[in-house]
Amino acid sequence: MSVEQKVRLYILENFLFTDDETALNSADSFLEKGILDSTGILEVIYFLEDDFGIKVDDEDMVPENLDSVNNIVKFIGTKTQAA
Amino acid sequence: MTTIVDDLQRAVSQHQDKPALVHGDNSLSYSELWTLAEKVATLLRQQGLERGGRVVLIIENSPEYAALYYGVLLAGGVVVALNTAAKEDELNNWIAHAGATFGFAKPAVLNCKSSEPAKIFLIRRIDEGTQLIVSLDKISSMDIHLQSCEINENDLAAIIYTSGTTGEPKGVMLSHKNLAANMASIREYLPIEADDRVLNVLPFYYSYGNSVLHTNLGVGATIVMENSMMFPAKVVESMQNHEVTAFYGVASTYAILLSRAKLENYNLSSMRYVTQAGGPMPPAHIEQIMCAIPQSKFFMMYGQTEATARLGYIPAELINKKLGSAGKAIPGVELEIRDNNGHPVPYGTEGEIYAKGENIMQGYWKNPEMTQEILNTGWLRTGDIAKMDEDGYIYMTGRRTDMIKSGANRISPKEIEEKLAELEDIEESAAIGIRDDILGQAIKVYIVKKEGSDILKQTVMKHCKKNLAPYKIPKEVEFIEQLPKTASGKLQRFKLIER
Repeated sequence: MSVEQKVRLYILENFLFTDDETALNSADSFLEKGILDSTGILEVIYFLEDDFGIKVDDEDMVPENLDSVNNIVKFIGTKTQAA
Repeated sequence: MTTIVDDLQRAVSQHQDKPALVHGDNSLSYSELWTLAEKVATLLRQQGLERGGRVVLIIENSPEYAALYYGVLLAGGVVVALNTAAKEDELNNWIAHAGATFGFAKPAVLNCKSSEPAKIFLIRRIDEGTQLIVSLDKISSMDIHLQSCEINENDLAAIIYTSGTTGEPKGVMLSHKNLAANMASIREYLPIEADDRVLNVLPFYYSYGNSVLHTNLGVGATIVMENSMMFPAKVVESMQNHEVTAFYGVASTYAILLSRAKLENYNLSSMRYVTQAGGPMPPAHIEQIMCAIPQSKFFMMYGQTEATARLGYIPAELINKKLGSAGKAIPGVELEIRDNNGHPVPYGTEGEIYAKGENIMQGYWKNPEMTQEILNTGWLRTGDIAKMDEDGYIYMTGRRTDMIKSGANRISPKEIEEKLAELEDIEESAAIGIRDDILGQAIKVYIVKKEGSDILKQTVMKHCKKNLAPYKIPKEVEFIEQLPKTASGKLQRFKLIER
């Protein structure tokens, strides 16, 4: 399973409660679409740290890194490369 | 009496071109805000809104929210602003209970078919459902002018729902006088000025955010909006970029800022004051905030929706001396501690907080019994248990009710228990508030399974996440053999809290 599929599946299952792939576009903003809130984003961070072995620092908590599936995939790529 | 509409009109005449509300690239100047409010009012009247007619707003914080709020008031209507995080059935319940014919919402929120699902529409409730009338964009471009509607101070201005999906929704009725009195009191003790640039993260549909909106617009200040604490660094960056002078938060707002944003890395030297309300904040967090923004005054405040918003505060200069207190009465409000028989108790003795003032609500909408229970003495029974010191400062010790306070939300355990009862495998359940470093309280549910059931926590969580608004979703689930009960079968919730 690709990184994108894994992240998408996690969001779909845990925040949209569906396995209907069309319910989420990879470019959808979690904030604007009301998919996540301030505690939901912390759950996503725990998921990224546990499943991808990356460390999400305070300064990483910006929309450019975490506000869509696409942004998360890009962020994981950058973090993994840097490691 | 001057109403909040009068206050805004005065601010508009003095600060025409100044930004009133800013959200990203979207903003409204004071004159634009007033013009849009007038157009909204005119349209509502043309559509048949009668004086006292309820108009729901299901809209996230935005400049338009304020224009719609004042537009409804200008038309002689009653604003019923609903929680945008609520599920559709909950929204429909509130709309029906309020008897609202008109509203403003995005079509998608109420499951209406539209080619423009993300735009705000004026809606009309009809027997068959919801009818879209016209988009706010079109209203903005209409050339219409208002025939003024006289507002009486005792007219109802707003209904704020504090809880209730099933059973009895609690709609707090606020008159124009209630709003005006409380906003004036707040402006007496908070140093709100026309030159302020306020950063607001609080939802306007709750009483705290509502008070931030009206107290600041009424003097001509600028409100900058960030609608989520999801990305705390973005919020602090906004404070820095807009040279913000005031910030309002609940305990969880500051907990997130302290744990997830490096405040010391930003220039917050323009900040004049910050406030906290909506439940207790750990003294350690207060001290850390005061260290991080040393030049800023810190106001601790206490209140209730039933009191419009605010009841008590600690003056900034006494914050260290009175740390741990919820404050003393704000100007225009009396606070007393009373025993179970409603008699005042001596200083230092525990009892329930009673409050009196022109800010106390008119009652609960369509619920005279509950109104009588809480207002029968002419004072508001707050349900908060506290002691008072000789200087009149109150120190909270508990709550008379079972309500859970999580972040800025008040949640009735029954709402969660009723939702869990929909699962066939559950015999019964009980929800309580447990301590949470970020939210103050988080929700924990104790569940008794039906005999032979092998229901999993995941199934329970999935059901909750699907059917409850995000802030009502339990953080912890525990299965137990039986719930603690009295001999007569009444749930002893306190025993679960003590576990």
